[in-house]
Amino acid sequence: MDALANNFQVLFQGLALGSIYALVALGFVLIIRATNVVNFAQGDFAMLGAYMMVAFLVSVGLPYWLSFLLALVGMGVFGLVFNYGVYYPLRHRGFLPVIISTLGASIFLQNTVLAIFGAQPKRLDNVIAGGMQIGAVFLDSQYLVILAVTMVMVAFQFFLFEHTMLGKKLQATSQDKDMARLLGIPVALMIAITFVYSSALGGLAGVLVGPVLFVSIGMGSIIALKAFAATIIGGFGDVKGAIVGGLFIGVIESFAAFYISVPYKDAYAFLMLFLVLVLRPQGFFGERVAEKA
Amino acid sequence: MPLLELKSVASYYGSVQALKGVSLRVEQGEVVTLLGANGAGKSTTLRTISGLLRPASGEIWFEGQPIHEMAPEKIVRLGISHVPEGRRIFPGLTVRENIMLGTSSRGRLPKKQMDAEVAQMFDIFPVIKPFEDALGWTLSGGQQQMLAVARGLMAKPKLLLLDEPSLGLAPVIVQQLFATIRVIHARGTTILLVEQNANMALSVAHRGYVLETGEMKVEGSPKELLGNEEVRAAYLGGHG
Amino acid sequence: MRTQSLEAPRARHVSPWPFILFAIAVAVPLLPYYTHVSHFVLSMFMQATTYAIAVLGMVVVLGYTGQINLAQAAFFGFGAYGVALGTVAHGMSFWLSLAIGIGIAGLAGGILGMTTLRLGGHYLAMITISFQQIFDLVAVNWIGVTRGPDGVAGIARPSLFGYELSDDRAYLLLCSLVLYAMMAAVWYLPRTRLGRAMRGVRENELAAEVVGVHTLRTKIIAFTLSAALGGVGGGLYAGGFAYISPDNFNFQRAVEFLSMVLLGGVQSPFGGALGTTLLILLPEWLKEMPPSLQFIKDVYLAIYGLAVILIMVFMPEGIWGLLRNSWMKFRTAPPVDTSGITPLNLDIAVTETTPLLKLEGLQKYFGGLHAVDGIDLEVARGTVHALIGPNGSGKTTMLNVVNGIYKPTGGHIIIDGNDVTLKSPHERAAHGLGRTFQNIRLFPSMSALENVIVGAQRDNNPIEPGAKALRERAMSALQFVGLADKADTIVRSLPYGHQRLVEIARALAGHPKLLLLDEPAAGLNQTEKMNLVELLKKLRSGHGLTIFLIDHDMGLVEKVSDRITVLNFGKKIAEGTPQEVLRHPDVIAAYLGDGSAAA
Repeated sequence: MDALANNFQVLFQGLALGSIYALVALGFVLIIRATNVVNFAQGDFAMLGAYMMVAFLVSVGLPYWLSFLLALVGMGVFGLVFNYGVYYPLRHRGFLPVIISTLGASIFLQNTVLAIFGAQPKRLDNVIAGGMQIGAVFLDSQYLVILAVTMVMVAFQFFLFEHTMLGKKLQATSQDKDMARLLGIPVALMIAITFVYSSALGGLAGVLVGPVLFVSIGMGSIIALKAFAATIIGGFGDVKGAIVGGLFIGVIESFAAFYISVPYKDAYAFLMLFLVLVLRPQGFFGERVAEKA
Repeated sequence: MPLLELKSVASYYGSVQALKGVSLRVEQGEVVTLLGANGAGKSTTLRTISGLLRPASGEIWFEGQPIHEMAPEKIVRLGISHVPEGRRIFPGLTVRENIMLGTSSRGRLPKKQMDAEVAQMFDIFPVIKPFEDALGWTLSGGQQQMLAVARGLMAKPKLLLLDEPSLGLAPVIVQQLFATIRVIHARGTTILLVEQNANMALSVAHRGYVLETGEMKVEGSPKELLGNEEVRAAYLGGHG
Repeated sequence: MRTQSLEAPRARHVSPWPFILFAIAVAVPLLPYYTHVSHFVLSMFMQATTYAIAVLGMVVVLGYTGQINLAQAAFFGFGAYGVALGTVAHGMSFWLSLAIGIGIAGLAGGILGMTTLRLGGHYLAMITISFQQIFDLVAVNWIGVTRGPDGVAGIARPSLFGYELSDDRAYLLLCSLVLYAMMAAVWYLPRTRLGRAMRGVRENELAAEVVGVHTLRTKIIAFTLSAALGGVGGGLYAGGFAYISPDNFNFQRAVEFLSMVLLGGVQSPFGGALGTTLLILLPEWLKEMPPSLQFIKDVYLAIYGLAVILIMVFMPEGIWGLLRNSWMKFRTAPPVDTSGITPLNLDIAVTETTPLLKLEGLQKYFGGLHAVDGIDLEVARGTVHALIGPNGSGKTTMLNVVNGIYKPTGGHIIIDGNDVTLKSPHERAAHGLGRTFQNIRLFPSMSALENVIVGAQRDNNPIEPGAKALRERAMSALQFVGLADKADTIVRSLPYGHQRLVEIARALAGHPKLLLLDEPAAGLNQTEKMNLVELLKKLRSGHGLTIFLIDHDMGLVEKVSDRITVLNFGKKIAEGTPQEVLRHPDVIAAYLGDGSAAA
């Protein structure tokens, strides 16, 4: 294959995987903005969504579109449970108990799924079989689906937040909770909605990436860490930063794996994170990380 | 019956007693001002009225209803709109969006009605109209203050609580702001105004109270309070 | 490290617990010599002891210093690989390999600690996780060095003073002794100078920095110690089990260490050991379950995760914390011996007449907001100088700039002839700058005495070296503010007015040349204010101490100040004696507002 085709292939794969990181990062950032909580179980939302898909599609045998719908609804419900079980009781404590709590939730989720489904990774087929051949480049259909769905989600997100009153209220809640209450915005409800939405986003990411990565218990952890790296690189708490950061990591990872070395593929995201945190902690779009007296 | 009445309200910040039995009343159609030095308890009084703080003892009555144990979301729906200290406009939202969010306590408004009300608000606050689509954080202090008041008015409140609107603003802007306060009052809104700038506040108020370390010290008409040595002492010391 | 106890002098209260624990500690490793214990059980206890050493590291970095560390398994791994590769691949002695492993772990810990310069909280959590992940990836993939997923086998037991430790019982004895030694050290740490600094960082980092604690260095040391302990545990683990592989040292293991320390009680070495033992024994115990409850075995890891959440919600101090709190209820604190306390020495030699504090063209801008807009100010030695002005005039910002919390945008700050403009707060404390905060910033779970001692610990404090001198200085300061009898009371249970006094005592213990007081009267009732005025007058009378204060209570300001500067919109608008300033028309206008009516 000639170099250009290679590079394009690598770029394409990078963007597709980067889109997954971006979707998870997006859910993660929304929770941070609304509640100031860093949710270390965000990746496991993806894992859970993928397993729900497996349950409905493979175990029960429902048609694809129905399984997909049920998985998303299931994840939405889960988001509600998570809101009231993990976030709500700790919402007034310091950040450390909450971080630890979400870590506990992560362990709980992974091991519950393990107990139910067993340790053997599961297969999830592409939505559409096959792919597209363009010259020397083969575009796997699942990657195309990932890119397409991510673009739709980003557009949806943009529409929701910029053009509906609900979106404005969600933004207001994340910018100044007390002020939002003074205006009559039901803040607790806004936060619950945020968790439901983020959970569904995570589940969607899992369903999309399942065919590519194999559905396994640990799939969420690595994705989560890269999504965290994405949010920091993009600018902690910035929505477009999360998306750009995710794509950035996906592409860097893809090229580094191709040109430098494959086994350390996962290390590149962390190296980038390290560098960014040391050189420019506010990331691409973020504000100065400052300490208040 | 007064529109708003506080009866011996006591409030705490943690273990510090910020209000020690404050009583006051606001009649329909008045502009009443709460004066006092920094730390006297003026903002605490407003926050206790709007529900951000729960009083340790005492009662607050609004239109004959006890509100001292209600949540802020409920209180705003009853008709009290609190424009808190420090403006607190949503920095990442536009001026227009900030104003629209002021209607959150009134349920969904049809688009036509919303547009009409926003347009009305820009008539009262022409200073911010050119910034309609600008993000909140880009506005100057005075503009943000105007925006905050506009947003507070969108709740169509019966009682508007204004907390230190002149804070940090240049004198010229303060004049503009208080001119607007007069306009708002003329249109029928009752106002309880907390201010450090006593002279400015007394130029628009019908009555005033002076707070000192959480206690009500003096009450009277502007004429009685202006140039009153007690008022000066409340700010700059030198009692007795 | 100081070696003397720093509790206030009082009668020793004897409790049975240390003896009970001691008995258990001696019995457990010796038991296998007297009765048959299976190899399996011995292995389990070897695992428990080596893990517990690593968990002690978590007690130091998280429990004492309040820094999150999710890379502890990586440090455990450095120790283990140090021993494994050193002995198997390079034929070095066990002890040398162990030392190297611990050294590398400590070094890595120090580097991680340096990242706290800019970051804390969530960022730190992510940096440590990233570090852990990178370690894992390298351990698995750098096959040339680490042998990858196959791991390293054939690690031999060491010999000690000629004794071969191939007998499991002997090795367990070794591990136990090392654990006990480490536990003793970690138990003693909070009572040392370093330990108090660590606790200060955890309780209120900003306050610690301001009273003279080198917070960055403290955090680096905490990480280094934590990593070194991890290395010790890992090295002993490798020696005990003869075979290691990368999945013993991954993120999951790090989370397990975290869970162990949280369950047991993160602030105590006993808690750490307890949590470790429980979580290692638990799966084994579950295997013994009757058939009807067998399903628990499958889901116990899930329960594990749920338990972490529940612990955080209901039991944040862990089991040890619960035990200790219930035991404390039955103890009454013996009264403090307040006899024979030397009076507080606050004297500053006033040998020059130059101003003690000089601000030249001081500016602090926050973007477009000119909070402090070009201020020149001089404070004469041995005087009380007040800074007043309406809300938002820039007073607190100015104090924060003088203190070093904010770096000025322009201008200079000179204290006693030293230009401190670019120095950090703890460096300024070393120059004799003391401060209290408007919203009291004490170390809430430490006693009044401990709080004040941290103030006395500042560099260059002109007192004798040694723990005794620190304690004496602190007691003197507490007596000066009238709270000597409350020395052992935990400050968070003190009434507000007393907390304010403890904060002042903490600042005075540092024997300051210049004392910055930020709204000292805030939140005080009339009586407390009167006492404060008396205290300030005592401070002022002839010690040579210079005081710079902000307050809104003009009565107080008038009574204690020699000179007042008035700010408005970040600029100086008046300066002079209280009489001159408080009736000045410009000042009255600034406070009461412009008299002209609205248009």
